[in-house]
Amino acid sequence: MTSASARSPEEIDSISPEEFAKLCEFFYRRTGIVFSEKKRYFVVRRVQERIATTRSSSFRDYFGLLRFQASGEEFQQLVNLLTVNETYFFREDYQFEALTRGMLPELASARKPGDRLKIWSLPCSTGEEPYSIAMQVLENWPQCDQYEIQIFASDIDSRVLGDAVRGVYGERSLQRVGPALRAKYFEKIKADEYRLRDEIRESVDFSTVNVIDRVQMAAFRGFDVIFCRNLLIYFDDLGRRETVETLFECLAPGGFICLGHSENMSRMSSLFRPRKFADTIVHQKPTDAE
Amino acid sequence: MGLVKAVRIDSSGERPVQPSEPLDLSMRLAALDSPDAAERRRAVRDLAAEPDAVPALCARLIEERNLSVRTALFTTLIRLRSPAVVAGLLPLLRLDDANLRNEAIDALQDMPEEVGPFVETLLGDHDSDVRILAIQLLSTLAHPDAPRWLVGVVDTDSHVNVCAAATDCLAEVGGPEAIGPLRRLARRFAEERFVAFAVDMAIRRIEGR
Repeated sequence: MTSASARSPEEIDSISPEEFAKLCEFFYRRTGIVFSEKKRYFVVRRVQERIATTRSSSFRDYFGLLRFQASGEEFQQLVNLLTVNETYFFREDYQFEALTRGMLPELASARKPGDRLKIWSLPCSTGEEPYSIAMQVLENWPQCDQYEIQIFASDIDSRVLGDAVRGVYGERSLQRVGPALRAKYFEKIKADEYRLRDEIRESVDFSTVNVIDRVQMAAFRGFDVIFCRNLLIYFDDLGRRETVETLFECLAPGGFICLGHSENMSRMSSLFRPRKFADTIVHQKPTDAE
Repeated sequence: MGLVKAVRIDSSGERPVQPSEPLDLSMRLAALDSPDAAERRRAVRDLAAEPDAVPALCARLIEERNLSVRTALFTTLIRLRSPAVVAGLLPLLRLDDANLRNEAIDALQDMPEEVGPFVETLLGDHDSDVRILAIQLLSTLAHPDAPRWLVGVVDTDSHVNVCAAATDCLAEVGGPEAIGPLRRLARRFAEERFVAFAVDMAIRRIEGR
């Protein structure tokens, strides 16, 4: 049941501890993301917003919509509100250095000119990471023109993917992009707005993906490099373990995975070999792995 | 060449590659014996919601030589956590394969509630090596009775190495209630100087000295 009258989030009844626990369990089962008690205010506030927007009469009513709506549209709306998308160009750029100075040269040494190399940015948020990868490859890997390089980018949040495809960014996102790269790859359209040039924008393929959905993930195979940074920190131990095993399946033998600086592969899995390139450690699927 | 537009991967509708279609349990269990490691790994992951598959998954662990399949087996068993999983993992503690034993302990540590009812039997095992592994399991088992079980070991176990392992563990997780039993242990093995040393150190740690 939904009520006809619109209410503001402040007018929505607070959510009980049992309801909060029920919602968290449901969200965890569907996304792998864990919300601790510390995040309670953040979660409750956004759920109240959605209860108001959908004109649901109560939490119970809204929860029914979340669980049983055939299109899954409301679930996606809530995912979009509850995921964090803070990022900027060339964030943790030492890994991009490792990509062009270590990983790509090594992968290319086992390929023929003209062969394909597949890179995946997951989660890609509003696109800064995959576009940074594209610029890094063009600017810093001299062999780039000898290979067919495909960059894929995915996120669970469909709203940020829209922004990523649009490719318009503010000064905050570009804080680490120097004048030369700005001039080459961006067009200033307003005082604090830059549009990425089509050459880069069109080189990345964006898609919506939920990493714990094995059916969706089964379509993503044969990647040479996966950037999966600052995603696993939102999962519990078992969720991390399962996700790492899923990413293992997505990599080609000898492929690499790059995690965020606070994510420690050795605590999650022993499936990968640690490799040091430039100033960072990345993780390689053994070349003889099936 | 250089950057080329990637071909769209369709993960929503018809897909070229999919995990196994829903098969009945016996067919999925049969896939555990596939000669192809990727196929076995997929079969293991497909069984993550099948409590009836626990005996077969545990049996497979003993035979499986491929690291990625073995890792998937443990992950699936942790997902299925239950008394049946604990009962299936405990025999691994008797194997010669140290990696498998340690992986079993790691997995058991992820299911403290389910492990609890088995602890006293494990600590009473005739094999002192199994008792030492049980203590290793208790060292990071998030169970409120872990200190009490360890105190029971230092008070009653007849094997000096088992008691020493429990003493080290109590240094980390023990409270004041462990001090009396630890002192009794030092007297019980007065001829073993390392026991006195370990007990002294454990008591210092417990008292925050």
